[in-house]
Amino acid sequence: MRTMKEALSYAHVVILIYMVQTGVTVFSLPQIEAQYFGTNGWLSVLFVFAAVSVNIFFMALVYRIGNGKSIFDLMEQVLPKWTLIPLYGFLIGVWSMIGLMIVKEYVLIFQMMAFPTTDPMLLKLVVDLLILYLVTKGIYNIGKAASVFFWLNVWMLFLLFFFFGDFDWSRMTTFVFQGGEDRKEGFIAIASAFLGYELCMLLFPYADRKTKIIRATLMGNGLLTFSYLTLSIVAFGFFSVQQLKEMMFPLLDLMAYIVLPFVERLENFFYGLFLFSIIVTSTVYLWAATETSKRLFPRIASKYLSFVLVAFQYAVSFLPDTLDEVKNWLELFGQIEIGIAIGLPLFVLILLIVHKATRRGN
Amino acid sequence: MTHRRYQDIRIDLVYFGHLVDQDKLHRDTIQPMLQARSEDIQTLLEQSQYHLTTDSKDLIKGILSGKAAVFHENESYLVDVAGPPSRSVGQSETETVIVGPHDAFNEDAGVNLALLRKRIKSSHLKVVKLSVGEVTKTDVYLLYIKGLNHEPYVQEAVERIRKLETDSIFDTHMLIEYIDDSSTSIFPQFLTSERPDAAASKLVSGRIVGIVDGSPTVFSAPTSFFEFFSSSDDYYQRWILGTATRLLRYLAFAVTISFTALYVAVTTYHYEMIPESLLLTLAESRSRVPFPPVYEALVMEVMIELLREAGARLPTKIGQTIGIVGGIVIGQAAVQAGLTSNILIIAVASSAISSFVIPSYVMSASIRLIRFVLLILAGWWGLFGMFVGMSGIVIHLSGLTSLGSSYLTPLAPLKPRDWLDVFVRAPLTAIRQRPSQNKSPNPIKSKNRK
Repeated sequence: MRTMKEALSYAHVVILIYMVQTGVTVFSLPQIEAQYFGTNGWLSVLFVFAAVSVNIFFMALVYRIGNGKSIFDLMEQVLPKWTLIPLYGFLIGVWSMIGLMIVKEYVLIFQMMAFPTTDPMLLKLVVDLLILYLVTKGIYNIGKAASVFFWLNVWMLFLLFFFFGDFDWSRMTTFVFQGGEDRKEGFIAIASAFLGYELCMLLFPYADRKTKIIRATLMGNGLLTFSYLTLSIVAFGFFSVQQLKEMMFPLLDLMAYIVLPFVERLENFFYGLFLFSIIVTSTVYLWAATETSKRLFPRIASKYLSFVLVAFQYAVSFLPDTLDEVKNWLELFGQIEIGIAIGLPLFVLILLIVHKATRRGN
Repeated sequence: MTHRRYQDIRIDLVYFGHLVDQDKLHRDTIQPMLQARSEDIQTLLEQSQYHLTTDSKDLIKGILSGKAAVFHENESYLVDVAGPPSRSVGQSETETVIVGPHDAFNEDAGVNLALLRKRIKSSHLKVVKLSVGEVTKTDVYLLYIKGLNHEPYVQEAVERIRKLETDSIFDTHMLIEYIDDSSTSIFPQFLTSERPDAAASKLVSGRIVGIVDGSPTVFSAPTSFFEFFSSSDDYYQRWILGTATRLLRYLAFAVTISFTALYVAVTTYHYEMIPESLLLTLAESRSRVPFPPVYEALVMEVMIELLREAGARLPTKIGQTIGIVGGIVIGQAAVQAGLTSNILIIAVASSAISSFVIPSYVMSASIRLIRFVLLILAGWWGLFGMFVGMSGIVIHLSGLTSLGSSYLTPLAPLKPRDWLDVFVRAPLTAIRQRPSQNKSPNPIKSKNRK
């Protein structure tokens, strides 16, 4: 049956970027802040927000100078396609691995909490199949699903009011960034929790003027910063810095504190709800990898490419066994991705400038 | 088939006795012919009720649909004297309301058209007549209001019906399954109703309404998932009551799909979630049950479905007996025999009751079936399974469309203005625009402000 195509709307992009950025790191975010920045570590979120905004500014330049064209088209108009094959291969590898390693981390934590005897790879298989199902529906429908997942998740922020009574400003202390470790390392760790905004570069061809894609990306990032900031402030005012340093997942401990008359220990429930966010993050990364693969194999249908990518990463994800190993992998890929987030727009910008200069010369 | 010959005036009359209205036949055809002289016959046949028909196929179709065929010399005419048996306009049994109009559509498309025309006295109300079914030749009427309707929707619907090649259509739901966007989906993508006031409101909001001859149900499109949770009487009560009822229905939806699954998930994997005081009661009630919670819940859910299906098929008087027997067996005996815990009974019963709160029977049935999937997933993987199931549902819904427009409007794409008439029922003076999904060229519905 014929369907009428819709364009990505402003709200779609805001929500999509917010949901892609929200990842498992949110559960350990206050711990990272306390460990690397010490007292009032929550302030570090603001620095990362500023850095990310600058990075988005470079993407805005790509969008403006490139007239909203796909970054792949922009690169291919300057360089011969074969020279880009290694770059494409690299991007496909990183994006598919990040997307699906997040799932492994998520299921490992869930297994640790509730299913000690279940094989985590079985849980991962189920989530991967869902992701494959969503990615085959295309970016418009991924955006729609992200919107619904957003509404199913966002109300959790109101739970922070639950801590109103036990929150104490004095736990914040008057000192800023005292007792932390390597701040540079901490900055990178927190920046990894912001990753996902860089994929807005792949949304260019799916947006029109009305989408205001750059403003939407900034807005999504702003929304994320607001949620990270409120969570971190609550965590710093509820636990002490020393406590936070010792905890693995402070957010889960916060959730466990919530008691209602008929139900308590809700951390499993809330952690379960986070699956929605994980699915969106992972799907959009897989979608990005599929989009890149399409440049290498334009004749193969996207759904087959996605299937191959999921199968490949599923096989690879057998390698890291424990949560620590997965975290190390994610840390490594997170650092590479930060490099991509900074480097890719710069690379395209240089190519654009070269292209303009040669055209002017001709 | 009846064949009458009037030798003097050289006329042959052919019709199906059981399809014609005998009074009309006598008044319009037989009586004038008996009184006519042979020289007057040409004048008689020039009267407006005699339609000259030259195509033999049209003639056959006319006779089959209850018209009388008149043959005179080399010419043939059709007279509309159709009056097939049909029931009178009654009340809807599936969509009852407490306040508001009580009349409902019946199986006669003519009556249904009249019920709608009676409510919308506008010359812009247009009807496209189509025929479906190689054998049944069922009449399908597509209605829309010109100027309020997005033209491509009508074109799309007409095209889909015209392309349809099947031998028979007996009901609106059959037609929908052929023409909706995804026939494999469990969710209905066209809204159906038996109520003329609901259909009229859909037309005015810029949607298309389809009437299938022989079916007491009409369909409207495009539709969204959330439209199935509103009912006509939301608008006939004060807005606060309408809003409260609508919110109650969304709560019922949440309870229906998750309550039993949550029981299974918590009692299988997440006992820590139950507060101590409740834990003792729960443990006590589950102590005699020999099965894992998922089997216990599945048996009870299947039992409830059996009761519901039996109640729907049996005559009303026996149906009550089934209710009582089922109530006793499920309510008490099962607990006393140690087959199930009484807390599960409460969960299953609230889940079943909630499913009936959803106004659309078709949607309610779909949701009841989904409940089983979530139940099994909760049995396998507890809360993780439940959320996997829910994600699957959301992903499936996000891919669905109705006449090409998103099934999840106004949540995705986000149209906050429409929320006033979707998640709540705002005061009528506040709902000033037609739903954005309908893409009406004239979106302003009401100019009154208060």
